[in-house]
Amino acid sequence: MNALRRHRALTRIWASDPGWKGWFTSVNHTDLGRMFLTVATFFFVVGGLLAMLIRAQLATPRSAFLGPDHYNQIFTMHGTIMMFLFAIPFFEGLAVYLLPKLLGTRDLAFPRLTAYGFWCYVFGGGMMIFALLAGLAPDSGWFMYPPLSSTLGAPGINPDFWLIGITFVEISAIAAAVEITVTVLRYRAPGMKLSQMPIFAWYALVTAVMILTGFPPLILGSILLELERAFGLPFFQVAQGGDALLWQHLFWLFGHPEVYIIFLPAAGAISTILPVMARTRLMGYGWIVAAAVSLAVLSFGLWVHHMFTTGIPHMGLAFFSAASTLVAVPTAVQIFAWIGTIAKGRPQLHLPMLWLLAFFATFVIGGLTGVMVAIVPFDWQAHDTYFIVAHLHYVLVGGFVFPMLAALYYWMPHFTGRRTYFKLGPTAFWLVFCGFHGTFLLLHWAGLMGMRRRIDTFDLGQGWELINLIASVSSFVMAIGFALVLVDVAINALVAIRGSRDPWGAGTLEWAMTTPPPAYNFASLPQIGSRDPLYDTPDLPAQLARGEGYLGDPSRNRRETLTIDIASARPRYIVVFPGNTALPVVMSAVTGLFFLGMLLKAYWLVPISALGVIACALHWVWSLGRSRPEGPLPAGRGLSLGTAAEASDPPGWWGSLFLLLADGTFFGSLLFGYAFLWTVAPNWPPASYAEPGFPGALLVLGGAGLTVIGARLSLTVAALGLGLMMAAGVILLTEVPDSVAHAYDATVWVLVGYGLLHQAVCLLMTALVAARQQAGHAPATLYGARRVLRLWCSYTVLTSLVIAAAAGLPGALS
Amino acid sequence: MTSILRIALPLTLWLAGFSAIYGLHGLLCSSRWAVAGDDLPGRGLLIAAAAVVLVLQVALIGVLRSSIWSASDPVIRHISLGLGVVALVSSVWTLMPVLTVSHCL
Repeated sequence: MNALRRHRALTRIWASDPGWKGWFTSVNHTDLGRMFLTVATFFFVVGGLLAMLIRAQLATPRSAFLGPDHYNQIFTMHGTIMMFLFAIPFFEGLAVYLLPKLLGTRDLAFPRLTAYGFWCYVFGGGMMIFALLAGLAPDSGWFMYPPLSSTLGAPGINPDFWLIGITFVEISAIAAAVEITVTVLRYRAPGMKLSQMPIFAWYALVTAVMILTGFPPLILGSILLELERAFGLPFFQVAQGGDALLWQHLFWLFGHPEVYIIFLPAAGAISTILPVMARTRLMGYGWIVAAAVSLAVLSFGLWVHHMFTTGIPHMGLAFFSAASTLVAVPTAVQIFAWIGTIAKGRPQLHLPMLWLLAFFATFVIGGLTGVMVAIVPFDWQAHDTYFIVAHLHYVLVGGFVFPMLAALYYWMPHFTGRRTYFKLGPTAFWLVFCGFHGTFLLLHWAGLMGMRRRIDTFDLGQGWELINLIASVSSFVMAIGFALVLVDVAINALVAIRGSRDPWGAGTLEWAMTTPPPAYNFASLPQIGSRDPLYDTPDLPAQLARGEGYLGDPSRNRRETLTIDIASARPRYIVVFPGNTALPVVMSAVTGLFFLGMLLKAYWLVPISALGVIACALHWVWSLGRSRPEGPLPAGRGLSLGTAAEASDPPGWWGSLFLLLADGTFFGSLLFGYAFLWTVAPNWPPASYAEPGFPGALLVLGGAGLTVIGARLSLTVAALGLGLMMAAGVILLTEVPDSVAHAYDATVWVLVGYGLLHQAVCLLMTALVAARQQAGHAPATLYGARRVLRLWCSYTVLTSLVIAAAAGLPGALS
Repeated sequence: MTSILRIALPLTLWLAGFSAIYGLHGLLCSSRWAVAGDDLPGRGLLIAAAAVVLVLQVALIGVLRSSIWSASDPVIRHISLGLGVVALVSSVWTLMPVLTVSHCL
């Protein structure tokens, strides 16, 4: 088969449906990546327009442009949109588009999950935009601190839009993180060891794991606050044993890592683009990987530095001040590695490089002011002033937006297949760069002169007038610059002349394909032996197009790719991907109805939509795999491999493992909240603790034992065990019948609810495996599913025992 | 997966130790601890806990260097050893307040 025939055959197999239908049924990562990036850019424009309204209001003293009610909604939505609907989804979009291409594979690990995450993002983001247009937008600031955001401070529906809408959107982040993790670990090209991965893949892996462990505390906080607002469970009400500071802990357990979740992908783009612009190879690959990992983990030990003014003892302040200064070290290691790369090479000042230089100039200032606010006495003075506003914009715009613009211009020839021909870019760059610094540099001084953040106006004579006028004028200059970037991108994407395959002379695999990329990425999958395969094997693109790699024969007429062993990178098995389907968009719409029911307090809709989600999920899982084993199949280059349907560790097992990592973090955060309230909150202990006694203990222990044994030996026994644990949960709830009496009672309800939910999920999974057995699936094709079930049952048993101990022990011991 | 664990473990151990000691500090400064008795050794416990964390970090570096847990890829070995040292230095730096700062003021 020649290259053209292979291309046609593979395109027929992998392409999305034509026309508008393809938008809703595509599961192709290239299309979904572009859709993610487009929608994220739309939200960036919306967030930017809101910023312009803020600056218009603050341009002059005592401005009547916006009233305080609207102003509160606008600054809250500006922060919310930029953080949740622009920055994270933009990274997701870039990773979804790029990762399989960089790694030398044909799609992400779970294509339908990509689409499901995308549609959850669109529907959740749509919910937030509706709130804005309807004048019902959240207005408590993007941190949503109670009591400002509780029913005491905000009795309307506004905070509910935030709590429910953002939780809905976060499904998308968790989905993307699971598949990025599994893709990087298992779907690399054969031979591509961890130490040979493109540096962007390391950053994506680190970021994805951070999302899996950083987002659950916020999801938990949102659920707890919504439970308080909707049903009165008093987690944040001091009089009933709650504490508003619990929210701050949960929020910043997410919020500080979030800054690095935003920065690290940008650092990945910098580490990829900079060596190409400098015409050399990246200096200090291993140091950069170590610095990225250090930054990621250290960022989880800094959350209290956002709470320095809440009355924490000196030792606590000192712990987090020390940790906050420490985080500058790995950041500096990366900066110096990049500077070394520039010094080692022969840099060319193309447009991406210009944006990277803007990154250096801006991010370093933001980093240094970050070290300033890590010092407690300074932070006490600067806290909640415009100094912080300026600092965070230097970090986030300098550390994310500028590198992403570099990435946009660097990969635009890949997205479009066209050369960057029209030259609006440099003009746009200078407008944005000068406008940005004109806006935010002087605001540091406004903060030091006492200007509080979030004020909707200020009086004459406070010395802030000129600074604010300059900032407002500059912000409009910046906005014009961003508008020019959009015009530049649109014109170049639509009408510029066709470009060459690898216009920058890069060495990474995404340039080993025609541009714009074909739906299948690679006509055959490469065998990799170095970090920059195109430098070491310049003929690689032609070899792959000729089908000389793996899976170059499309005759099985289905979407196939390879997985590898994590460490050795040897091929393990063939994965068969699903085709185009509307199931993800339907399932996300039904998921949206669940959240809508919660938002509108139409609780009849909640169980109905939950059943709908379950039905969609069962349909989704049922269509996976095959009922009969296929045995080893030819995979190219003389290799024969089995399929994932017969593997002991199918992709679903790995996906479950990392989903359970997020789940476990959620559970750990819940236990942290419980311990925090028990230790710190006033009005403890409650009037009485639950005392489930011997029958409860017997049920939970017996149920746990039967579940563990049954998951290995007998599905019926497993179901019985799960049933007994559920009964124990219900008995425990009867011990604390009033969930709104005290924070302890509320916590027990949430703990038991968590346990019941997982037990129910395991029961469903057990029923599904049993149904597959009944339907005649061979044992070889059921083995992987049973291992997935075993994994979930083990987790459920473990958490159920912890729940029983946490809820029951205080009563047993008192 | 062992390669990933080698890389993830050192700083995760730092994070676990750091968070546990912060939690212990919260407990020691809470009214619960006061109820249990004023003569209980608050700072001594904090110092002991910090010492345990440091010993664990040193032990982990030893394990990462030894043949008990060898890495097939030398780059991964170097990265994990480097991270072991980073975690040890991080532990020393961030836990220093247990010696130098008043604990419940």
